[in-house]
Amino acid sequence: MNAEEPLHCYHCGENVPADCFLSTVIDGDEQPMCCPGCKAVAELISGSGMESFYRLRTGFNEKPEPSESTSAYGIYDSSKNSADFAEQLEDGSWRARLLLGGISCAACTWLIETVLTRNAAISKASVNLAQQSLLVEWNPEELALSQIFAKVQALGYEPHPWQAHRGAALVQNEQRKSLRQLAVAGLAMMQVGMFGIALHAGDLQGMEDEYRGLLRSVSLIVATVVVFYSATSFFRNAWTNLKQGRLVMDLPVALAIGLAYGASAYATFSNQGQVYFDSVAMFTFFLLLGRFLERRVRHKELLRQTDLYTLLPASCQRQLADSWEICASREIVAGDILLVKSGSLVPADGVVTLGTASINEAAFTGEDLPRPVTPGASVTAGTLLVEGNLQLRASADAGNTRIAAMMRVLAQAEHAKPKLAQLADRVAAWFVSAVLLATAAVALYWWQQAGAEQALWVSLAVLVVSCPCALSLATPTALATATTRLREKGVLITTEDTLERINRCSQVIFDKTGTLTSGNFKRGEVEVYAGSMHESLAIAAALETHSNHPVAAAFADIDSRALPGNAMVDVQVTPGQGIRGSSAGVEYAIGGEAYCRQFLPSLQSGPAAPGHWIALCSRSETLAWIRLEDQLRPEASEVMQELRQRGLSLTILSGDPSSHVAQCAQATGITNYYAGCSPADKLAYIQQQQAQGHQVAMVGDGLNDAPVLAAADCAFAVNGATDLAKSRADAIFLTPDLNRLLYTMNIATRSRRTIIQNMGWALGYNGLALPLAAVGLVPPWAAAIGMSLSSLLVVTNSLRIKH
Amino acid sequence: MESLYLLIPIALLFCFIAIKLLLWAIDNGQYDDLDKEASRILMDEVPEASTKQSETTNPKSYSK
Repeated sequence: MNAEEPLHCYHCGENVPADCFLSTVIDGDEQPMCCPGCKAVAELISGSGMESFYRLRTGFNEKPEPSESTSAYGIYDSSKNSADFAEQLEDGSWRARLLLGGISCAACTWLIETVLTRNAAISKASVNLAQQSLLVEWNPEELALSQIFAKVQALGYEPHPWQAHRGAALVQNEQRKSLRQLAVAGLAMMQVGMFGIALHAGDLQGMEDEYRGLLRSVSLIVATVVVFYSATSFFRNAWTNLKQGRLVMDLPVALAIGLAYGASAYATFSNQGQVYFDSVAMFTFFLLLGRFLERRVRHKELLRQTDLYTLLPASCQRQLADSWEICASREIVAGDILLVKSGSLVPADGVVTLGTASINEAAFTGEDLPRPVTPGASVTAGTLLVEGNLQLRASADAGNTRIAAMMRVLAQAEHAKPKLAQLADRVAAWFVSAVLLATAAVALYWWQQAGAEQALWVSLAVLVVSCPCALSLATPTALATATTRLREKGVLITTEDTLERINRCSQVIFDKTGTLTSGNFKRGEVEVYAGSMHESLAIAAALETHSNHPVAAAFADIDSRALPGNAMVDVQVTPGQGIRGSSAGVEYAIGGEAYCRQFLPSLQSGPAAPGHWIALCSRSETLAWIRLEDQLRPEASEVMQELRQRGLSLTILSGDPSSHVAQCAQATGITNYYAGCSPADKLAYIQQQQAQGHQVAMVGDGLNDAPVLAAADCAFAVNGATDLAKSRADAIFLTPDLNRLLYTMNIATRSRRTIIQNMGWALGYNGLALPLAAVGLVPPWAAAIGMSLSSLLVVTNSLRIKH
Repeated sequence: MESLYLLIPIALLFCFIAIKLLLWAIDNGQYDDLDKEASRILMDEVPEASTKQSETTNPKSYSK
């Protein structure tokens, strides 16, 4: 890191480039901005009197990088294109559901809702933070749907049409269901608890049988609702697993609830023994609560939808007989002639018919330099046109693109992923067997000694005292704490068993572009052949300002005022090849070797060292060769070193065919690397490793990593990864820092240790209490206190992971 | 103590009504977004009447 702390953009939190002096006045103070996009959004927010947004938000906003021009939303004004997500209400107004990208906290929802409802035509706007969706109702006479899209985009969020998504709908249903069960269990618990206190007081100071019977019957009624409504998921889960011969944690839970309820019901009808209705309700409530909280943290990311059409532009320009129309991308059919402009995503697979351009395919292939395309070249839907304009003929319908095929590979890879048997379930297997055997032995003994009646009560006491409260809380509490802790540190865990999987991995596979490297070009060495370095760089920078090729970013930090002459004129950009221009009467060119040799036939050859070299020359002489590289993340070497010390074997699988892969491997000390891998190659490699019995962790970011991420035993998506990669990862890093990987591993190790401690305690407690209950020494009140204390201890131990 | 025969059913009735209401609210979608509602209290209410400006955007009719 620099000694001098760089300025951070007040809106998005990214570093402000050295030559950027943008700022916006917010709440009376001037705040730095990193780009015109952030400035525009910040000015809109402060200008409409919503400054308090910045005080209320809990995280930085996403950098606004609109992928659609405002006019593209015009397609949604025709009801043909909006039928899927908009409908007319009875009173004539319309209601639409949009998906929003870039919402990070509750303040965002407030900002969007307030700004939208200020408009007289919008009667209702409601943002769902968990689902990242917006429900809006408006009067179509006064406002067009495309204007709503544009308003949302102006605030720095990315609106997409809502698409019915089975996964998200399932998660929502599941969440509502658990809430309903929780609500019933909670309210019922209070009722039964109230009657329970009366019954306990009655035990101590005496109570008429009539009223005791009344209170017990009423408790029975309420507890019946809890058992048959709230606790059904435990019973169902235990039963389905039992049918397949698996003993899971839910089995002892179901047994404890079922038997305690059954015994209490018997006691109520026979008017003898002890009732445990309050324990049944309380146990059910706390277990449901623990599971609900843990699931809520995990499901946040699941609710985000990523499907095919969010990866493609919503609309594109299509040629009609003699004009261009804007059409929705999903309506493209093979043979259509499409126009794609600089800076937009390619809407369909196709063949270029007109124009030259550069296409960034990093997300697909991992190649870090854009590929120059000319007529006849084929392009892929979802890639980014960085410079130049193209006409292309679509070669496949919208549903048959390469990206659609990738989604299908993904679905298969995901399906093949084996479910990990959880530690808790393995413990449960022998715990259940042990308890059942012990109970049977105790029942048999007491039956012979004291008859059936006594045997029933003692064996019930054994079952109740061995109630696996602490045991079943051991894992979820530890996992919930670890997940929350990681969330605070910028790692989002999305699958249940991630933390357990990490501990078993013996191999870590890295993608290169965007994962080990930052994905941005930096200048490497500059070999000067004529003139001064200062002057050469100034010329290069002056030329590159005319390009939006990613290479140009490597020169953005240079002050081009040192240029001989005043300004670069007559600039010509040949997309994907080079730029030429003249300054003070001298013509200059910058670009690849072929381009510059055409300009200056006597061009001196570049240095032999590997890497991407570009040449700078004038009409008369070679000025310099400049090496460009996609730099390693600064912490990469250190993190790799640490990982090796932990005995993990490391591999790089990159789609980039260049020698840069070898360089990165050398710099990080990784000996095992493969360049030029297609997504299928990557998948094959990982499956081969898995077939040899290795557990593999994968760290990646691109579209091409998604199938591998889905297949890996444990998958991480780095900050800035494509949505598709994120949706297939078990954990997502929210900050651009590979140290998060080490941190996640540390927490995983700690949570495993905590789970083992918890289980040790819970089993130890049961081991001690069970023999005492078996000889008939444990009164019910002592069992209840012991149970609560042991659960409390387990929860407290889990909370230690936080520190 | 006979009053128990009246009071307990009343308590159960209240409990039943509370559960019914809660289930209705859940099904109505009021608990779908627990993150937003928690911090809503911190957000300023923007007074409806004073700020509700009819923006002069060129209204397009929603073509059917």
